[in-house]
Amino acid sequence: MSLKKFSELFGDLDSINSTNNKIEVLKNYFLSNDPIDNSWAIYLLTGKNNKRFISGRYLKNLFSQIYEYPQWLIDTCYLKVGDSAEVITLLLKNKTNSRKKKLSNISLNALLSETIPALSKLNEEEKNLEIKNLWETLPEDNHLIFNKILTGTFRVGVSIGLITKSISKLINIEEEIISHRLMGDFKPSIDSYEFLINKNINLQELNSKPFPFLLANTIEDKIFKNSINDFQFEWKYDGIRMQLIKRSGNVSLWTRGQELVNESFPELVEKMSHIKDDFVLDGELLVWNFKEQIAFDFSLLQKRINRKSPTRAIQIKYPIIFIAYDLLEINGRDIREIKLENRRIELEKYFSKWQIKTENNISDIFKICDLIFPKDWPDALTYKEKSRENNTEGLIIKKKTSTYSSGRKKGIWWKYKVDPMQLDAVLIYAKGGSGRRAGLYTDYSFALWQDKELIKFASAYSGLTNIEIKELDKWIRKNTIEKFGPVRSLKPEMVFEISFEKIQISKRHKSGIAVRFPRITKWRKDKKINDADSLENAYELMKKIS
Amino acid sequence: MRTKQEDLIRYKDGNLYCEPADIWIDPSKPVKRALITHAHFDHFTFGCEEYISSKETGILLKERVGDNIKITTFEYGEEFKINGINTSFHPSGHILGSSQIKFIFAEEKWLITGDFKLQKDQTCKRYEIVKTDYLISECTFGLPIFKWDDTNKIANDISKWISNSPEKTSLLFCYSLGKAQRLLKEISQTNFQGNIYSHGSIHKINNSYRKLGIDIKDTIKIENKKKIDELKGSLILLPPSLSKGSYLKNFKNIQTAFASGWMSIRALRKRSGYDKGFAISDHADWDGILEVVKKSEAKNVFFHHGDSEALSKYLVEKESINVLLFGK
Repeated sequence: MSLKKFSELFGDLDSINSTNNKIEVLKNYFLSNDPIDNSWAIYLLTGKNNKRFISGRYLKNLFSQIYEYPQWLIDTCYLKVGDSAEVITLLLKNKTNSRKKKLSNISLNALLSETIPALSKLNEEEKNLEIKNLWETLPEDNHLIFNKILTGTFRVGVSIGLITKSISKLINIEEEIISHRLMGDFKPSIDSYEFLINKNINLQELNSKPFPFLLANTIEDKIFKNSINDFQFEWKYDGIRMQLIKRSGNVSLWTRGQELVNESFPELVEKMSHIKDDFVLDGELLVWNFKEQIAFDFSLLQKRINRKSPTRAIQIKYPIIFIAYDLLEINGRDIREIKLENRRIELEKYFSKWQIKTENNISDIFKICDLIFPKDWPDALTYKEKSRENNTEGLIIKKKTSTYSSGRKKGIWWKYKVDPMQLDAVLIYAKGGSGRRAGLYTDYSFALWQDKELIKFASAYSGLTNIEIKELDKWIRKNTIEKFGPVRSLKPEMVFEISFEKIQISKRHKSGIAVRFPRITKWRKDKKINDADSLENAYELMKKIS
Repeated sequence: MRTKQEDLIRYKDGNLYCEPADIWIDPSKPVKRALITHAHFDHFTFGCEEYISSKETGILLKERVGDNIKITTFEYGEEFKINGINTSFHPSGHILGSSQIKFIFAEEKWLITGDFKLQKDQTCKRYEIVKTDYLISECTFGLPIFKWDDTNKIANDISKWISNSPEKTSLLFCYSLGKAQRLLKEISQTNFQGNIYSHGSIHKINNSYRKLGIDIKDTIKIENKKKIDELKGSLILLPPSLSKGSYLKNFKNIQTAFASGWMSIRALRKRSGYDKGFAISDHADWDGILEVVKKSEAKNVFFHHGDSEALSKYLVEKESINVLLFGK
């Protein structure tokens, strides 16, 4: 019903380690609260929201002003606690014994849809007064959540997977359906929650949503024991993974990060809308070198990713292509349960039909991926080694008899990368450079996930172009959480591909691993922080190499 | 900064030393004569020729060091002389028997708080405000982020924590001397009605406390071979040293918690490896330290035990109190 209940939920989730218990707690929460607050809870817990209304620094200054605490004392406390919202929460304890009537039952909805957004419409003085007023009227045990929402730092050990499982248990419907319903945009509302818990499964309702993406695992040795004929081989393109959907005549492009990117690639949307059939394709978007028929480097794709409504000139300079490797739905028929080899037949069949039957030529923007046919595993290895020549990252190996299921189910799709010494990591600290790079933030620290926490694992300062450095520097200045001398801690938002030469156990590092010659090889603007690798991935990598 | 040689109490070899009395306070290595504030292992050492302490601390010390030590004890408030210097013990509220030590020398009063807290504790005497000229205070939790909740609130939280998982065995880790008995007393006054077990080390101290007249519940000494079913829904008090290692394999389906002041910080809680943390401490919080500094009316204050930088700066800037550094 309320912020109070949600604070309790947060406390519970924070102190429960067992996944099953977390699911139980979530289920009970959903059962005992109203739909609108439930939808806000899901919104917060799945990290769909991390809008920052006020910076941690601002909050600390405000506290210092109101309660006459010296700034340095708050900073010293911060060093111990490591989170602005929590420092302020701890300092506020027993401070706000005003006689004001307590807002002990404010609903999550009221807080998140009215009270907090209203802050941004106030001038500074009014805003400060209002925050002070809220501190005084909200019960103490709600302060942490409130401060965390304000500073956009709400995070707790709950994944989309857990939410999916608990809702699935709540209404007794397969996780796949719930996971599908949670794809894409999630606007907190009674409707969005009711849709999520609707016991009637109706494909029509999911029309606007992509299917949960099937993800590939890093290859394991055991696969080489199988017959090579059991697998389909494709090049591993280094582009943006995407579902291209045409339903009821409307085309939508969904990235794996669940973003709708129609506006960035209008020429693709336009061309595909001429196809007569409805469909859902899974594939890769690339900037394509039509002369040599290979992909351009990922850096060119970056010129397109964040640019909405690109001009005709941009479209010509950076020509894109969508390479489909799977067909998931055709004319309203979900074919994910059909075997891959048969889906491939369907894909080829429809592709040739579309090439002939579509009025405008589609082959300058859309094709299906070529297959590779290695004779045996050593031959597959040779293909893999050659993959750099055509600007691919290696091979994707898919079991021919597999169906398209969601999540990282092992043993269905494997990635066999040329250079396995790579991890996608989140930028968490930046330090000013020296010499030629003075005045710019050019020394970066990167982190990997461990149980919803980002653990620093490497520092790197080479690999970005000067233009990228300037762009990142600008971003760093705008997204600093804290400054410690020359170092800034940053809002976790940017993902980079880090390459290195060697990975080994190290007791000196908190992460427990050390890498040699780490360098930035790609700015993954297409990835969200949840897509970054985990320490577990790093350990797997290490095992594989030794 | 000042390093005044004529200071009555100073740091020598990392310990507090009173030269005119030729006596050490809570020394970490064997000396001729040692004043002991309380019986925690980091406040005394084996092998001193003579120990001087409060009555209760004396008894607890004997149990820890052995019956054959030479120990002289005094009641709280009773004045005695060491090398002609007037000395007395006063309750510090930390654990049973814990003392502050007051010296009077050349008409000046010196007070060593020892470890202390102001919060209510049903298992020991409450902190006594003692006026002094020089104050030597501990400052383990010398930052304003540390503010303790009422003890009974924590006890109720613990009780709820256990009752919410009736199918589990709840292991609560806490220091075996003082904290364990305080928790035991408080928890037995909550709604929790299940069995309370304690580890041998804690069980032994529980008995000592009872012998010294502290009314705490008789717990069951935990045996390794207890049947899992019998432990379901009950509470077991264990010393923190057992939290890492194979000891926990004796139990099935457990939840663990640590009772310590540090648990008030989420990052420390997460890093600790326990499922849950209860922020309860036998040391003073920020407000507690400030209160003692002010009420002691000390004109000169020293801090030891803990990071005192922020606290010192705050007292100098905001309260105009003269905070000094020890001459080493």
